[in-house]
Amino acid sequence: MSEKLIMKEKIINIIIEIASESGWDILTNLNDDTVLLESGLDSLGFATLVARLEEELLYDPFSMMDEPVYPRTLGEFVKIYEQYAS
Amino acid sequence: MKIVLVTGATRGLGLAVARQCISDGYKVVAVGRTMTEELTFLMQQYPDHIVFERYDFSDTAGIHSLAVQITKKYGRPWGLVNNAAIGRDGVLATLHERDIAELIKINIEAPVLLTKYILRSMLMNRGGRIINVSSIIASTGFNGLSVYGATKAALAGFTKSLAREVGKAGITVNTLAPGYMETEMTSALQGDKLESIKRRSPLGHLATVEDAAYAVSYLLSEKSFSVTGTTITVDAGSSC
Repeated sequence: MSEKLIMKEKIINIIIEIASESGWDILTNLNDDTVLLESGLDSLGFATLVARLEEELLYDPFSMMDEPVYPRTLGEFVKIYEQYAS
Repeated sequence: MKIVLVTGATRGLGLAVARQCISDGYKVVAVGRTMTEELTFLMQQYPDHIVFERYDFSDTAGIHSLAVQITKKYGRPWGLVNNAAIGRDGVLATLHERDIAELIKINIEAPVLLTKYILRSMLMNRGGRIINVSSIIASTGFNGLSVYGATKAALAGFTKSLAREVGKAGITVNTLAPGYMETEMTSALQGDKLESIKRRSPLGHLATVEDAAYAVSYLLSEKSFSVTGTTITVDAGSSC
């Protein structure tokens, strides 16, 4: 399995976990074009996702960036994590 | 043992909060610029309940790493007490720009950044307590403390919006507004001024750092789970 697929799968799995813990309904077909804030997770859910990913991956791309970037879709979100993977 | 992070814990109110947290059964991560005799003594008394992490909050660029290291070493914190602050006084017209920038950096930018990163542990735990130490100066004002007062009012404003952001995750955010206490920071308030504050207080005395630490103890506890976005004033009634 490619690095890209592994990262994407990891992120989707964590989104599903967070939604299940919080009792949120999320889209069943999460893909690259899914708009993050329409996926069923709210802004707090995404903050939790970033926290969970930092603990697991040991980096936070959003605090490593010189210029702020706010991803709109799941594909953009995954790409940022791939870019900053060491 | 729940972890509570207390900044500026080497003296004054921070040290009293650290002592109270130990007595309440927490493990304290005391953060400060320089070790003091009082903190050394507390650490000798309770070696399993308190650790010291040296940090100068004028280095805001290192706050993310500090938060990551603390969480890695001691686990996800339950509580964060943003107490570290500097208290430069001087009328605005002659306060040096560097001092103004330093006050804003240490008293507001640093606690906002530390909260941003420590909050992540609380989001994952789906619970936690954040206490921002402001001051009655934020609402009453004081001659010579305009910038200090602005930073303290900013912290109280930060509390209110953040409480709304994170409430759904079981995290409470509150402000402690102590009045004049006899600490090193208020040592410049001598003689007549201090006597006048005591006289005007309904209770006829100043609040102590221990009084303020009791309020922190309540806000850190499970019992305060329905209290968020508010300010608890501990000033022996001076500002009422």
